[in-house]
Amino acid sequence: MRKNLKKYYPVFVLPTTASFFIAFVFPFLAGIVLSFTKFTTVTNAKWVGLQNYIKAFSNEDFVNALWFTVKFTVVSVITINIIAFALALLLTRSIKGTNLFRTVFFMPNLIGGIVLGYIWLLIINGVLQFFGVTVTYDASYGFWGLVILTNWQLIGYMMIIYIAGIQNIPTDLIDAAKVDGAGFWGILRHVIIPMVMPSVTICLFLTITNSFKLFDANLALTDGAPGRETSMLALDIYKTFYARTGWQGVGQAKAVVFFIILAAIALIQLALTRRKEVEA
Amino acid sequence: MTKTRTGLGHALAYVILILMSVIFLAPIFIVLFNSFKSKLYITSEPFKLPNAETFAGLENYISGLAKTDFFSAFGRSLFITVFSVAAIVLFTSMTAWYITRVKNKFTSFLYYAFVFSMIVPFQMVMFTMVKTANALHLDNLWGIIVIYLGFGAGLSVFMFSGFVKSVPIEIEEAAMIDGCGPIRTFFLVVFPIMKPTAITVAILNAMWIWNDYLLPYLVIGTDYKTIPIAIQYLRGGYGSIDMGAMMAMLVLAIIPIVIFYLFCQKYIIKGVVAGAVKG
Amino acid sequence: MASITLKNVFKIYPDGFTAVNDLSLEIRDREFVVLVGPSGCGKSTTLRMIAGLEEISKGELYIGDRLVNSIAPKDRDIAMVFQSYALYPDKTVYKNISFGLERRKTPKDEIEKRVMQAAKILDIEHLLNRKPRALSGGQRQRVALGRAIVRSPSVFLFDEPLSNLDAKLRTAMRSEITKLHKNLDATFIYVTHDQTEAMTMGDRIVVMRDGVVQQVAKPQELYDAPRNMFVAGFIGSPQMNFVEAVLRNKNGRIFAAVKDDAVLLPENEKFKTLPDGKKLKLGIRPENIVTEKERFAPDEPVLHGRVDICELMGSEVFLYIDCKGTRLTVRAPSYSAPKADEEVFFQFDRNKLHLFDAETEEVIR
Repeated sequence: MRKNLKKYYPVFVLPTTASFFIAFVFPFLAGIVLSFTKFTTVTNAKWVGLQNYIKAFSNEDFVNALWFTVKFTVVSVITINIIAFALALLLTRSIKGTNLFRTVFFMPNLIGGIVLGYIWLLIINGVLQFFGVTVTYDASYGFWGLVILTNWQLIGYMMIIYIAGIQNIPTDLIDAAKVDGAGFWGILRHVIIPMVMPSVTICLFLTITNSFKLFDANLALTDGAPGRETSMLALDIYKTFYARTGWQGVGQAKAVVFFIILAAIALIQLALTRRKEVEA
Repeated sequence: MTKTRTGLGHALAYVILILMSVIFLAPIFIVLFNSFKSKLYITSEPFKLPNAETFAGLENYISGLAKTDFFSAFGRSLFITVFSVAAIVLFTSMTAWYITRVKNKFTSFLYYAFVFSMIVPFQMVMFTMVKTANALHLDNLWGIIVIYLGFGAGLSVFMFSGFVKSVPIEIEEAAMIDGCGPIRTFFLVVFPIMKPTAITVAILNAMWIWNDYLLPYLVIGTDYKTIPIAIQYLRGGYGSIDMGAMMAMLVLAIIPIVIFYLFCQKYIIKGVVAGAVKG
Repeated sequence: MASITLKNVFKIYPDGFTAVNDLSLEIRDREFVVLVGPSGCGKSTTLRMIAGLEEISKGELYIGDRLVNSIAPKDRDIAMVFQSYALYPDKTVYKNISFGLERRKTPKDEIEKRVMQAAKILDIEHLLNRKPRALSGGQRQRVALGRAIVRSPSVFLFDEPLSNLDAKLRTAMRSEITKLHKNLDATFIYVTHDQTEAMTMGDRIVVMRDGVVQQVAKPQELYDAPRNMFVAGFIGSPQMNFVEAVLRNKNGRIFAAVKDDAVLLPENEKFKTLPDGKKLKLGIRPENIVTEKERFAPDEPVLHGRVDICELMGSEVFLYIDCKGTRLTVRAPSYSAPKADEEVFFQFDRNKLHLFDAETEEVIR
């Protein structure tokens, strides 16, 4: 059968693969090459070695965006996961109406970043106007605004994953812990948390990458203002490409750095999951 | 004693859950009632319900629709999402089946390339992808489907492959013996088995493409705006925003999502969990 | 003192389903009681109510003379062994066994002493540093037992602990649990759906169906004098045969008509008071059907049928006989066995016949 199937390559593999080369493989390779060149339109690229990378890291905006993104990611990851886990615990108790609550908490996840950004622009500016300012008055307002927005978007999603994890715990195990004398906190610490560790790994990875890659909401809520102080990495890279002529090479270098950071996160997650599997 | 304690615990749980629900729903309701207020009052008193003085009827909707050409944007978003998702589900499932069943250096290279592409952020390929799309004249509503198929292939092939690996090959061999060629085997036997995964893949991709702003903005530009682009376009050159039109358009943008969600909730939540666990 | 008393206990779920219906039972200190019945009969629910894992809807539960209806599981002085073993997968065997003691703030050296003791009894000393995943089914079962005995509770609860093991291991663990009961000064309550386990292990057996207790008795009594058709059919393997019959009461001569044959009944004054024509079910165990002619009781009617299938078990055979449309299972010594398709003559051992009312399915005695 395999031999038979092999001949059907053009039908089964070609459409996907051709698109994949156009939209990913070629742009990816070209992007790496271009990050070492100075160019405005790809065809006029000139080799400049590591200069773009040096420029990127001596560029205040980029370093600022990097730190802003890291701080934002750390805060969001912690808040999102704690709240989502707490909600999951509440919703896995045997109480009525859990489905309704689940529906409500998950819904914001479906709303796209641009729409999300403007919804919260209204709310945050509405609150801040009691103090006579707007969200772009100070970078910390934008920071917390983005944290709240991301929490609103991702809590429901992570909660669903935690619920699935908690529901997978055999009830016998919790019963056994009860008989063994564990109270609520004992069960939480000795049974529930160890048993949902796979979900925790998934949720941490998802929240980290989602926070790191945040772009649309950033664009809509603050557009980087004041100045470039609330630009996250993705927005800074975008602006380097399209709002500053002659800096496309630097933009591409920044993008490569961005990619390397995300790849490192993915590899760490993979290693963690693998180790768990070997242990288990 | 235990009875009253769990009773108290339940009451507390309800209080927390209801409080959280209010926090989760409030933003949407605030946007909704502000969309019926005249724009002056939206910025000056956003948390007050419309009253006789501030009520503006459908004024915001009318001006918003005029400014954004919302219904055309909706049509384009729908077109791009439906056809891209259909292309992704169809072609990546075929590819995934092929590269899982035909084992050679090329297919295993392809598999790893697809997996690799999942961790690459859009900004990494953004500039070169747009140039490539322009050069190949893919910078239109039809062409962008190719771009979405190519850039979305990674996750989708990965998910389908994971599923194909769990399907016993005997079923396909039985179909072959019954006289099916590869194409019939795929469409009559393999694809129906893959349906749950296909739903997951479709939902994940639909959520991504429907809400995507930057890719269509860069590839097609502002001549053919999708919903996110149309909304972003309400922000004027110096950051000034017509809040009246904005509120109305946000409501119109949210309504189809909420309807879709309420109808396909079960599949969406299942799909998202499956996607997260595998991805 | 760890006697256990259930007084009119009910378990009714919110949807109205009654899992346990008016159950009253007294279990003596240090007794080994087995709850047995088909799945869904309420035996596990009863056990879980005793453990405190399931709320009691109505009725009273005493352990010793303490009312424990609303006492948390951890304060009931019980230990439980689960069907799935319920070992904590992230903890070593040692930690699994010591977990309950740690919860109770037992001093460390005391914990170690008791864990080692339990491990020695169960022969799992060499496994203490492993994780549950690295153990075989039988080893996991021992760890689960270890977790229970290390706390030396006054009541042990077992929820189908052997049903995940293969047949050979099950037999071995069976005798080990019985031995454990002899060595530990504790009350054992054991739930199973396997009547062999119930018969071999229990001091007393509680047979349940649809949430209702059918009979509580010692194993031999349960076998010899079942109270109704359900118990009679559930206990014993192969199953008791049931034959439809009609009571004939003619001038003081009592017998049962089975189709056009007659079967003599045991001597019993009670039968004489029954009306002629009453519908009956006759119960007869496979070993009480006699096929060897030399053992036939003289002057008693002989029935005949055709051998359908003949299963040779070694020392004995199981014959499946078709007797005018009724299928009978017969346990016979292998030397005298007829072959398949042969005509066979047999008698019911008159004194071993059980009479049931065909309507109520209760025994007539």
